[in-house]
Amino acid sequence: MSDPTKTDLAAIAARLDALTAQVARLAERGRQDDLYDELVPVMRAMMGSAMGRLDAMERDGTLAFVRELGGVGQKVLASFSAADVRQLGDAVVTILETVRTLTQPDVMRVAADAGEAIQHADTAKPMGLFGMMRATKDDDVQRGMAVMMEVLRRVGHGVNAMAAKQQHADDKKAKLAEILGPKRQRKVLGTERAAPPKALPAAPVVKAAPPAPACAVPAKPGQVAAVIDGVAFTADGNLVDAAAWTRGLAAALADAERVGLTDAHWAVLDAARADFAATGSSPNIRRLTQVAGVSTKDLYVLFPRAPGRTIAKIAGLPKPAGCL
Amino acid sequence: MTANRKVAIICSKAGLDECYPALILANAARQSGIDAFVFFTFWGLDVVTEEKVDHLHVNLAGNPASGMPTMLAGLPGMESLAGRMMRKQMTELSLPSVREMLQILEEAGAELYGCELAMQMFKRKKEELVPQVKDVITAGDFYDLAEGAQIIFT
Repeated sequence: MSDPTKTDLAAIAARLDALTAQVARLAERGRQDDLYDELVPVMRAMMGSAMGRLDAMERDGTLAFVRELGGVGQKVLASFSAADVRQLGDAVVTILETVRTLTQPDVMRVAADAGEAIQHADTAKPMGLFGMMRATKDDDVQRGMAVMMEVLRRVGHGVNAMAAKQQHADDKKAKLAEILGPKRQRKVLGTERAAPPKALPAAPVVKAAPPAPACAVPAKPGQVAAVIDGVAFTADGNLVDAAAWTRGLAAALADAERVGLTDAHWAVLDAARADFAATGSSPNIRRLTQVAGVSTKDLYVLFPRAPGRTIAKIAGLPKPAGCL
Repeated sequence: MTANRKVAIICSKAGLDECYPALILANAARQSGIDAFVFFTFWGLDVVTEEKVDHLHVNLAGNPASGMPTMLAGLPGMESLAGRMMRKQMTELSLPSVREMLQILEEAGAELYGCELAMQMFKRKKEELVPQVKDVITAGDFYDLAEGAQIIFT
């Protein structure tokens, strides 16, 4: 154990085992994202620091590896909990196979080579789409791509199998919930049976106002074009000041527009004034259908000629802006 | 009151960006108390075809305002992608979809017509059009309807 290479070897082997055990544990879990999240640091650790030293180990021969295996086992036992070790025992064949495969001289050489490339990553030039396409002409790159594709395929295969397993477990849970469901529901059955209150179709229901649409343009202060009975009007016939509006004035304005005001008319007018008070802009027809809960069709029935403008006039609001 | 003003709008293209002007103009006319007719002809027929109305595309190729080089804009799937993106953006702004616009127009009292010749060309039947289409008429019928109207071609 005095030989520094051997100490390194032991450390590295322990690390490898720990990593393999981690991978094995991860394999037990179903969640894909967990696997990816945890696999990334594992891969980085393997590629980054281990490769150089693993190369040295390989040169030393696999005999040394076998000799150290006993001590390695002890260390592993010391640094893992009982549950970990139990899982480790279950997966021991897989782990040994993985270790054997990973430590094959050929595999090590390739991995060490790849590790070296990562070590010299600072000299690599950034590459764009076309650089990538050019690089694929290289024979080695093509072969590497084939290998990576195969690795990807197998990883995907494994992940799919894991997902299927998880799905199976979920199905079982769902089935269980289905069986247990009625029992649990019984407690709240009374509340569930209560019929939802039906909305009355007759009176228009004023919905909670949606956020002001992007196409609504804030009202511009109108220019006084005429003053009739002390009330100022713009050239379009809208009130200059919405605060000067009264219900009596609305009736007079409606007469001028040849609209006979009913409760349905008043509901729309009130909704329009409420929306103006809330948003500061005169609602256009689309907005009115949303805030007054009246269909476009009904608006045209109630105010046949240019409903948006007419409503604004009678409700004492500025002429609505926007295209809708 | 003088006789009501009229507009007759001809919609001959079915790009998402190409059909909106016609629909918006017709709606704005109704909102201003102007009678509106919309005549859907040639590619514009897609706008009122049941199976197409929800999947209208945006053509980016050859459109310098799109900001995308024509070479890229011509790649397969690009216009459907652009159409999806534009639809998504319009939903975010709570603008009505084409189908909603057609419903709004019908409710607002605008009249929508399909072109008979285009129907024959694309082998469409009246049942394949959206229910908002009032009738399928010829260009001559359209002129009769639009007598005294201002005509807008889009």
